[in-house]
Amino acid sequence: MTEQEMREVFREMREEPVPADSLARVRAAVDARTHRRRWVSPWQIAATVLVAAACAVGVVMFRPAVPAPEAPFAGTLVPAAVPESPVQPPVALTPARPKRARPRPRPAEIVPVSIRIETPDPEVVILLVN
Amino acid sequence: MLEAALMGEIPRETTGSFDRVVREREAQMLRTAFRILGNWSDAEDVAQEVFLRLHRHGLNFPHDAAVGAWLYRVTVNLCLDRTRSRRSSQELPEMASPDRSAEAAVLMDEKKQRLMAALAMLPPKERAAVVLRQIEGLSTAEVAAALGSSDVTVRSQISKAMVRLRSILNREDA
Repeated sequence: MTEQEMREVFREMREEPVPADSLARVRAAVDARTHRRRWVSPWQIAATVLVAAACAVGVVMFRPAVPAPEAPFAGTLVPAAVPESPVQPPVALTPARPKRARPRPRPAEIVPVSIRIETPDPEVVILLVN
Repeated sequence: MLEAALMGEIPRETTGSFDRVVREREAQMLRTAFRILGNWSDAEDVAQEVFLRLHRHGLNFPHDAAVGAWLYRVTVNLCLDRTRSRRSSQELPEMASPDRSAEAAVLMDEKKQRLMAALAMLPPKERAAVVLRQIEGLSTAEVAAALGSSDVTVRSQISKAMVRLRSILNREDA
């Protein structure tokens, strides 16, 4: 066989089709093994759970402060000006905050006190008792 | 094209999905493995392993041509490992060439069988170089990249291999 013939045969071999069954077997085996691996792995599940937990913690810790509700107006309303019309519009009064029961002060024990006041006159002394 | 890509002349583009790469390259890799190993059964095993490795590796290639270079390199390495570990035993018949007169087809098939038999007698690296260069039509630089050697080495291997092939075939003719 000459070199020219060899090259011609090589060219023929380049165009040669691959057996369909071989190709199908390779494709099936690769598909079976790679697609099985494409399912979510335990690591991916763990990572997802971790990220979700971190997000939840972040939301709880760094959520914006809720503005405190306004304190209800407890005083009496005084009309600002003399009403021109005899009928006044009803004034919406917010209910007063319920008063907290204050502890009653205990009555102080009576301790006898005496005060002695001396006057310029050595003969006169004012004595206050209780 | 592959050479240009290896030299960085082709702009970076995203490679497609794994399935697309498999569909596009499976016949090439299977054929290359068959030419080096000499039987379809081993070639199928190698092709499967090549694509499973690609799946593990991921498609992190700068361009599509780099995928081809990587696939050829892995295919050749796996084939060389196999030829080292055991001799390919059974040889399966090749596909008959389509669109050819019966007589010409028979003649061509006979030549192919003889050439394949002669190829099988070459040292594995020389065989791989001839398969990639002469049959797959890669450039010398691409073959060198696939074999992990220099251009000069590849040229030398191909030259020696061609001389050996001629010698084997002429011995048969005589």
